[in-house]
Amino acid sequence: MTSNPRFTKRLLTALTAGLALLGITEHSQAQELYLTGPLAGAPAVRKLRLYRRTRFEIAPAVSFTLLDEYQRTILLGARLQFNITDWLAIGGWGALGSVIRLPTALTDNIQGVNQQRQAQVAPCNTAPTGPGCAGPLLTQRLTAVNLGKKLKDQLGGIDWVAAPQLTLTPFRGKLALFQSIYLDTDVYISPGVAFVGLTERKNCSPCVGEFKTASRMAIAPTIAAGMSFYVNKWSAIGFEYRLLPFAWNRGGFDTAGGGKDNEFPDNKISDADQRFRVNQMMTISYNFYLPTQYKVSE
Amino acid sequence: MKKSCIGLLIAALGVIPATGFAQVKLGAKAEAGATIDADAEGADAKAGGDASANGEGDAAAAGEGDLGAEGEGVGDICKIDPAACPVLDMKKEAARPIKESIYAVQQLYVMRARRLEFNPWWNVTSLNDQFVQHTGPGIGLNYYITNVLAIGANFRYYAPFNEDSKFNGQVRRAARVAVPLNEYQWGANLDFSYVFAYGKFAGFGDFIFEYDAYVLGGVGALSTRPIAVIDPDNRNFEYKPKLAFDVGLGLRVFFSRWFAANFALKDFGYNEQLENLGTNEVDPSKKSDWLGKNSFTQNVELQAGFSIFVPFSFDYRLPK
Repeated sequence: MTSNPRFTKRLLTALTAGLALLGITEHSQAQELYLTGPLAGAPAVRKLRLYRRTRFEIAPAVSFTLLDEYQRTILLGARLQFNITDWLAIGGWGALGSVIRLPTALTDNIQGVNQQRQAQVAPCNTAPTGPGCAGPLLTQRLTAVNLGKKLKDQLGGIDWVAAPQLTLTPFRGKLALFQSIYLDTDVYISPGVAFVGLTERKNCSPCVGEFKTASRMAIAPTIAAGMSFYVNKWSAIGFEYRLLPFAWNRGGFDTAGGGKDNEFPDNKISDADQRFRVNQMMTISYNFYLPTQYKVSE
Repeated sequence: MKKSCIGLLIAALGVIPATGFAQVKLGAKAEAGATIDADAEGADAKAGGDASANGEGDAAAAGEGDLGAEGEGVGDICKIDPAACPVLDMKKEAARPIKESIYAVQQLYVMRARRLEFNPWWNVTSLNDQFVQHTGPGIGLNYYITNVLAIGANFRYYAPFNEDSKFNGQVRRAARVAVPLNEYQWGANLDFSYVFAYGKFAGFGDFIFEYDAYVLGGVGALSTRPIAVIDPDNRNFEYKPKLAFDVGLGLRVFFSRWFAANFALKDFGYNEQLENLGTNEVDPSKKSDWLGKNSFTQNVELQAGFSIFVPFSFDYRLPK
């Protein structure tokens, strides 16, 4: 016995650690039973259906872009990959986005105002030499760089995407739907590099009356997370969420390039008008696996 | 020294519940011969001895094995008091129709019936509002009437977290078109939720975790107001609650039988009042001219949070 404060301090530390260990012990008792029971050393899953291992995957897919300001794009494509193991695959996703594009309400709204504005004629337009002629209307002049006759024709769009990628499938499981339908499932992530074909408003200076578009290719990282629901031995329904971050000019507007920090319009369309955006999309696919027979684990 | 003794006493007290934890529960349940505690999986063989004798486990005659016409198995009772000796015609009993439900999965990892679920979350993003993001905290409280059906309420608070996108200003400047914007203050809904799917995943082929998926729907209120963009110098709107309906889809990933990560996608539909795109140039302060048309609006939110089920433990009705 001692009244040494250092000893007391150490004792308290030891007790605290001991109590913490006791707390762990209380939870780990069930675990020990697993370890020492008949299942000790057994794998977490036996007779696992290896849907992916050494099989080719062909998955026609439809992707829907999310949070679009000016137009939604529906990309038609497919995922092709070879599953080296049940958890690792190499392949790619490709899609065409130039076929289906739907303008948003904002685009319709702007176009409606734009048409009204263009229909308005300042007195000097009909009689340019008349007294008090002020040229085009103020709003026409202020939007001359940004708005052509049809907004839709100057919008940026994703034409195509080709994304070589790896697919990692860390989680395999099963699902009971309404206690009557039973499906095997898996969860995967697919990191890769995307080559994106874009159509955007062409760079110009001066830009009044210049609303042509040009194509370019953007290279961006991409990552997808998804779930597969196996319908039978050789097919599955897939849902996937994908991020595709890169900068582009979606509205064809002059929004930057001048003023402080280049955050103000400069009456030019340039690379500065491309704004970074984490493009998001949801994909639905139907996956086919070849050969049609899967393997089963031990 | 006194403190050390107190510390040792606490440590000793800590040991008692650690060892007594399974014993008390198992013992109590095994005596009843009816249930097996969810926390004592590994020791179910012990309790199963009694419980398996009667399947359902809640019959009064449980725990003693079969009762024959001659009182086999209850011989002592018959010897002591022949009048109390139960007499059953086994042929008759065997011929009785059995309405036993057969479940494809005999033991669910989590039983929800008659448990409360606390579900705090954060609205991560509005998935369909590119103009104003309505993030913020929320909390839900659900009571499970059955294992799959719950009634609940939730409350969401948005007021300080509305985020007017930079994009709005850029469009106004570039196209000279103002888009009416709205922000949220709070929302509250009463919901029914239904667990339509459950399952489990093996992670890296090494560990297993359980999950379930649910749909929900309900009615409530959403307090919103326009953000003055057409005439911000004169207009100042106040929040007003509106009738709001919601439908949603959620996923819970269980870390234990009472704690789960909870992700949900919810769509709130309501009739929004937008700012008037025109101005009263004679009297811009006239409030009746500030509001424009109504528009049915949907806000799809992605929520991430966790679920805590109470009571923390539960009993299975059927043996494993």
